[in-house]
Amino acid sequence: MSESRLETLEGMKLSNVFLDSLMQIMNHLKIEEVMSKNVHVLTPEKSMWHAKELMRLKKVSGIPIVNREGKLVGIVSIEDIILALEGNYINEPIEKHMTRNVVCLKPSDNLKKAVECFERYGYGRFPVTDEKGRVVGIVAKEDVLKGLLQWFSTVYTHDERRSDVLESEYFYKSLLTGEPLDKRGADFVMEIGYTDINMAGVVAARLKEFLISKGMDEKLVRRITIATYEAEANVVIHSGSNGVVYCFLGQDAIRVRVEDYGKGIENVDLAMREGFSTAPDHIRELGFGAGMGLPNMKRFSDKMVIVSEGGKGVVVEMLFYRDET
Amino acid sequence: MTLREIADLLDAKVLCGDERLDNVVVEYVAAADMMSDVLAFGQPGFLLVTGLNTPQVPRTVNIVGGIGVVVVRKPVVLESTVELAQVLEVPLLHSPLTMFEACGKLYARGLKPINVRVKA
Repeated sequence: MSESRLETLEGMKLSNVFLDSLMQIMNHLKIEEVMSKNVHVLTPEKSMWHAKELMRLKKVSGIPIVNREGKLVGIVSIEDIILALEGNYINEPIEKHMTRNVVCLKPSDNLKKAVECFERYGYGRFPVTDEKGRVVGIVAKEDVLKGLLQWFSTVYTHDERRSDVLESEYFYKSLLTGEPLDKRGADFVMEIGYTDINMAGVVAARLKEFLISKGMDEKLVRRITIATYEAEANVVIHSGSNGVVYCFLGQDAIRVRVEDYGKGIENVDLAMREGFSTAPDHIRELGFGAGMGLPNMKRFSDKMVIVSEGGKGVVVEMLFYRDET
Repeated sequence: MTLREIADLLDAKVLCGDERLDNVVVEYVAAADMMSDVLAFGQPGFLLVTGLNTPQVPRTVNIVGGIGVVVVRKPVVLESTVELAQVLEVPLLHSPLTMFEACGKLYARGLKPINVRVKA
C-alpha cells in the first residue's frame, strides 16, 4: 500500500471519530442554547416596505410575522422582499405576501433537528416557538455554527488538561463490571465545562430533564439527580479541572459515570467518611463542603465504585436499579 | 399553612412565584445552610429555610423536589438566584428575620420537621 493511501485511511478513521462526536454534540445541544433570543418581529398589517427597512437596519435576513398575542402567523424573507421590489408591490401589506405555514422549531429540539430542517427545507432560518405558538427566538445557520464552535472550544481546553491522565486504564473500562466501556454508547453525555461553583448542578438538572423525558419513575430520577449533583459539585470544587457525566440507560438499571481529569483523591477511604471534607472556606460559605458528597452518592445509589489516585483524576460509577425505588 | 400565610408570618417579600403562593400548602419545613444536607435529608414537598442566597439554593431545592424557599437574614438575594428560581418555578421568599426567629415562628404554628432522626 502506498504511503498516500495509508494517510487517507488514517484520515478517514479520524474523521469518523470526529463525526461521531459531532453527532453526539448535536444530539445534546438544545435549540434554546444557540438561538438568538432577540427577535425582530412585525404584525401582518405592516407593509412589505417596513419589513425591508427592518431587515436593512437590523441586518437580518428574515422576519417572523406575529399577531397581537405574539403568535407566529407567517414569515417574510429577503427573497420575498426582492420579489416585492420586482413585482412593484413593496407598499402592500405583509399579510398579502408573507409565507404562511411556517416551519418552526421548539426550544427543546436538538441541533440535529435544526440541521435536518435546514437540509430538508432549504430555508436560511427557522423561528422558535413555545407551546402556545409564540415566537421566543430564531435560529439561523450562523447560530448553529456558533453554538458548535463554542462547544468545541470547551472540549478543546479539557482535552489539553486531560492529556496527563489519559494513560490510566480505568478511564476505559467499567468500574462496576470491569468490562471495556464504549462511552459513545452513552444515552446522555454532558461536559462539566465550567469552574464557577455557582453553576454546580446544571448538568444534574439537565440529566433530570432527560430522564423525565424518558418517562422514568420520579423517585428514581430524584435519586439519580441528587447523586449526580453531588458528583458534579465534587468535580467543580476539588478537581481543579473539567469533567464529563455519562448516563447509560440499561434494562434493569441506570448507570451514571462521572469522570474528571484533575488532581484526584489522596485517600478515598477518608473521603468516604461522613463529615470529612477538604473544601476551602469560601466553598463552605456557599453551602458546600459539609463532607456529605461521597456519603450522599453512596446513600442514593445502589452500587457505587470510585477510583482515584493523587494527580490522576477521579472516576465514579453509580448504579441505580429501576425497581428498587 | 399556605406559602402566602408563611410569607405574612415571616414578614417576607415575595421574589418569585407570587401567583402560586395561595395554592402551595406547606406541612414540613427544614432549615439548612449546607446544600449537601438538603440533598441528603430533604424530602419531596418540604419548605427550605436557609441563610444562603446563591443560585445553588433554587437548584438544589428543585432537584430534591422541595416546594419553596425562604431566605432569611441576608440583606439581599442575588439577582441570579431570583432568575433561576423563576426558570425552575421555585417560589422564593425573602424574610428579614434571623434563622432562629423564622424557624421558631413556623414551629409555633404547628409546622413539622422532616422525617430524619439521628442518634445523638
